[in-house]
Amino acid sequence: MRLKRFAALAAVSVLAFGAAACGGEDPGTTPTTSKFEAGTTMEKLSTAGKITIGTKFDQPGFGLKGLDGKPAGFDVEIGKIIAAELGISADKINWIATPSAVREEVLEKGDADVVIATYTINDKRKQRIDFAGPYYVAGQHLMVRSDDSSITGPDSFKDGAKKVCSVQGSTPATNIEKFLKDKATQLVLFDVYTKCVDALKNKQVDAVTTDNVILLGYVSQSNGAYKLTGSKFTDEPYGIGVKKGDAKFRAFINDLLEKIYADGRYAKAWTDTAGKFDANVPTGPAVNRY
Amino acid sequence: MDVLIDNADVFVSGFWLTLQLCVLSATGALLIGTIVAAMRISPVPSLRWAGATYVTLVRNLPLTIVFFLTSFGLPELGSNADFLRVPGLSSVFDRLGIDLPYFRFAVIALSVYTAAFVCEAIRSGVNAVPAGQAEAARSLGLTFRQNLLSIVLPQAWRAAIVPLGSVIIAMIKNSALAGAFGVTGELFSSGQNLTSSGGNPIIPVFIGISIGYLIMTVPLGIFIDRVENRRAVAR
Amino acid sequence: MSHEPLIVLDAVNKWFGDLHVLRDVNLTVERGEVVVVIGPSGSGKSTLCRAVNRLETINSGSIRFDGKELPAEGRALAKLRSEVGMVFQSFNLFAHKSILDNVTLAPIKVRGESKASARARGMQLLERVGIANQANKLPAQLSGGQQQRAAIARALAMQPKAMLFDEPTSALDPEMVGEVLDVMTSLAKEGMTMIVVTHEMGFARAAADRVVFMADGQLVEQAPPAEFFGDPKSERARDFLSKVLSH
Repeated sequence: MRLKRFAALAAVSVLAFGAAACGGEDPGTTPTTSKFEAGTTMEKLSTAGKITIGTKFDQPGFGLKGLDGKPAGFDVEIGKIIAAELGISADKINWIATPSAVREEVLEKGDADVVIATYTINDKRKQRIDFAGPYYVAGQHLMVRSDDSSITGPDSFKDGAKKVCSVQGSTPATNIEKFLKDKATQLVLFDVYTKCVDALKNKQVDAVTTDNVILLGYVSQSNGAYKLTGSKFTDEPYGIGVKKGDAKFRAFINDLLEKIYADGRYAKAWTDTAGKFDANVPTGPAVNRY
Repeated sequence: MDVLIDNADVFVSGFWLTLQLCVLSATGALLIGTIVAAMRISPVPSLRWAGATYVTLVRNLPLTIVFFLTSFGLPELGSNADFLRVPGLSSVFDRLGIDLPYFRFAVIALSVYTAAFVCEAIRSGVNAVPAGQAEAARSLGLTFRQNLLSIVLPQAWRAAIVPLGSVIIAMIKNSALAGAFGVTGELFSSGQNLTSSGGNPIIPVFIGISIGYLIMTVPLGIFIDRVENRRAVAR
Repeated sequence: MSHEPLIVLDAVNKWFGDLHVLRDVNLTVERGEVVVVIGPSGSGKSTLCRAVNRLETINSGSIRFDGKELPAEGRALAKLRSEVGMVFQSFNLFAHKSILDNVTLAPIKVRGESKASARARGMQLLERVGIANQANKLPAQLSGGQQQRAAIARALAMQPKAMLFDEPTSALDPEMVGEVLDVMTSLAKEGMTMIVVTHEMGFARAAADRVVFMADGQLVEQAPPAEFFGDPKSERARDFLSKVLSH
């Protein structure tokens, strides 16, 4: 994972550099009029005819890089809708991998125009960037072995006996901590969830916890070996990250989200991607125009 | 830089856990490495072969794979490395005796991996001991074991101290990988946690992590320099 | 059994690769006898000396010590070696141990002697070779002559049945040769069985019971010193002596 992150960082910088180089010699695509107010991000992007979007490359259902080298998933579909609204076709989108650790950084440095990457909205992050949305409310869930009925929810960890696995540096890992009696003996963190699933199989841990969407991906692949237990115990509103202070761009995306909730594009984006793991089409959450 | 002050407890506990991991792993690596080195220079061909195979295999694998083998291979074999739950040790190294095996797995992975390098450092040290030393010991009737323990290894250690220092420093840095294999709260992953989940800026957090590692590695480097200087004076 | 000579080499052959370093060597050393082996460099005399406590293995023939065939390896070999003292050209004192510790190490480790008695005896031996005042120094702090005397004391500490000296003065500055030879001469006078490989013709004349002349891996000639130096029988020996004695 560390390596992956460094590779991603390297990729980010290469891509950004490449994009800048191309931008300098891009002829002719400048439309004389724009439907966007001059000086806004929307005007700039639609004039340039291209956009750089950060997403996860390793998150099934939301952003997973396929064999064709392009990411696919719900986040990716949302990105395409935003680009389309700016008059940018899908093939003009420059996708960069934004693992959790670099998301604020790429926005601050301008390496990405927006980040749509299973990006939970919280106040700490809002100090550095701004969020449009939420466009989806994920929730933390618990996955256990199908034959194990001893865990019914996060409270099952309070007596200090059961062990739970998550990924280092993730919000779910921080969230579950408050349900644990002793972090040292109950919490196992790996760099990727697949190791957690393996530890669950080997009975080193009794549960894996993270957002429901991710867990559903593993449940669907497990041939009935695992199940979700209890119900979602957090609300993780996923937002769309934009540069701090870009209120007009944020409002533009919020307007767009409300539009696609209504016109069915939102539902289609879901069923085409994450809906394969979770058939319940979510209702678009109310956007937060803070 | 407020991040460092606000999260001092995270850094301190991460540092403490990494220090425990490193002290145990360094001890294990030095023990195993010395035994493998003894095998490699022993007069028994099968032992020499076993020692050489160990070094060739372990030294040429990425550490991640060794971690994989201990963290997922051992459970597959039904082992939780419970032999490391030594009662006395567990009271100092609090993670050693707990139910979760990942700290023990990490100690094994780092020990086993680093031992291959320790072995080669010691072997180069042994080669630096003049052949006459072992010959004189043999001519006095010392057995191979006595010769090794009383004459060759004590001198080899002195010649090996500098390369051994580098090996242990590399091991301390390698310990950062443990966070990816279930050792919750180790220094590197604690820092990562602050940035990705806590949303703190990367640079100051990583400066904090760096300081943690430097606190361990720099004194070790200075210590080794001093030992080496003292050795130079003694000659 | 005690009638049998202490050391018996019978038809010993050794090769280093293609090099035939010992050719059908037969040599008998009686108890209490001092045999000095001389000869040009590369004649195999060091190899001969080292073969007696199996620091060199041999390819054919047999070597018997005190009535028994030399053991091939293991504890039996270690025991044999503990009964044969060896003094090397380059001293080979244990560099990390004090002079006294060098002397007491083997009695304590190999013979299981108590520390106190090993130290007491060690000090006596150091006294005898004249370096008791250096007991607590490290080898590197001593002169070559002192180191070699310490090495002799170390070998004597095991109360060996025989002593092997492999060019014990060749690495010494000339002014230190005498002090080492004096120790060796006194040992010889006390009746120690010794095989001495050396270029010191004076020592051979004064202390040897028998001089053995080797060339090209062969034992060419052996005789009491007066006879050997006065009237060498072989051409090779005459040639060698004329070269070493002419200056």
